[in-house]
Amino acid sequence: MSVRGTPRRLWAAAFAFLLAAAVTAVLAGSARGERAQHGDLILSLDGGLSPLALPRDHPAPVSLRLSGGLQTTDETPVPRVTRVELGLPGQGVLDVRGLPTCLPRQLRNTTPAGSLKACRSALVGHGKIDAEVRLPNQEPFRIKADLRAFNSRIDGRKAIILHAFSPDPPSVIVLPFVLRLHAGRFKTRLIANLPPSLGPWPHFTHFEVHLFRRYRYRGRERSYIRASCPIPKKFSAGFFSFAHASFLLDDGREIGTGIARSCRARN
Amino acid sequence: MVSKSISFALLLLVALLAAAPAPAAEAPTRTEYVQQLEGICKPDALATQRTMKGARAEVQEERLDAAAVKFAKATGIYGGTVEAMAAVPRPGADLEKLGKWFTYLKRQVTNLRQITAELRAEHAIKAQRLTARFIHNGNLANNVVLAFGFNYCSFKFSRYG
Repeated sequence: MSVRGTPRRLWAAAFAFLLAAAVTAVLAGSARGERAQHGDLILSLDGGLSPLALPRDHPAPVSLRLSGGLQTTDETPVPRVTRVELGLPGQGVLDVRGLPTCLPRQLRNTTPAGSLKACRSALVGHGKIDAEVRLPNQEPFRIKADLRAFNSRIDGRKAIILHAFSPDPPSVIVLPFVLRLHAGRFKTRLIANLPPSLGPWPHFTHFEVHLFRRYRYRGRERSYIRASCPIPKKFSAGFFSFAHASFLLDDGREIGTGIARSCRARN
Repeated sequence: MVSKSISFALLLLVALLAAAPAPAAEAPTRTEYVQQLEGICKPDALATQRTMKGARAEVQEERLDAAAVKFAKATGIYGGTVEAMAAVPRPGADLEKLGKWFTYLKRQVTNLRQITAELRAEHAIKAQRLTARFIHNGNLANNVVLAFGFNYCSFKFSRYG
């Protein structure tokens, strides 16, 4: 049986391809990131895991990307953020067994090269951050900085230290995110308090961070982040609340948003 | 004579007022509109959250029929919410934007209804595809009314189990 001389099987394959492309387009569309507006403030959040295809029953090595930003609707200055809380779902595992740690004091006032010299063995990610600087009697300007993430331990808790360096104007910040475990959908929370001593940095407009690290410990290959796609056999893909970001602002407001993402089952 | 003309003028005024069309319901401001809609959405959003509690676990345990019951209830709630929202007068300046938003919201009701049907029929893959569409469409709907700052009326995946 054929349609205009084309075997039906070929048409079926073409249809399946188109369907797959349509589903991919739908998923890709949602991967552009979600936004939420609270008053005059727009908060955006995006991110995902790579690879998308993961085992159903055990966690596999992945990289995690998370980006977000704050902007105002009327070009007024972005308020100062005093606390950041990032929630990640329970199917992800942060494995630091045998991974060296780095202390904030080892990174203070270091250039990117200096930070790597001090803590290369604890490196777990990288990224970028943009901040808005408004100084009295000066035109506002933006600074862009490269981020590096290092594995750490603060007061006995797992932590990630972000090291941001901007060459123009030269400035460095070292910001520890402490990991806390909670009940509920976002079991893993990364929390950072941003003291006023950080200067202009808390007026950040955009951040992007990729976390990924493979290492060996006691002869075994390990990954800093692992995740699974725990969905039943009947399904080939699943959807989950991937991340939640909330920002506490210096005017007392707390704004937040969450994003949902998908994963595909590998077996 | 004077009093007769005054009475006539008064009568004419009354007649004119009576004949004048009733003033149309004044269009609300955006703030008033958001407040009114949030008042409708809040109890329904909370009810949806309660209804959908455990749906994820049921899908996980492959009890699709049980999950379908929850989706059916959520569809009923959401359909009623959208209907009640649609009846509220809209701010004049936002008519086009809100028209687009309601198109997305009605599509969400259809998506939920279809997911329910596919779950009931144990068509897991079809339900999965529709869920992707449901999430994507919900995000598109949110983007249209971003400036309104809705909370309970905006789409949140976390409310669905």
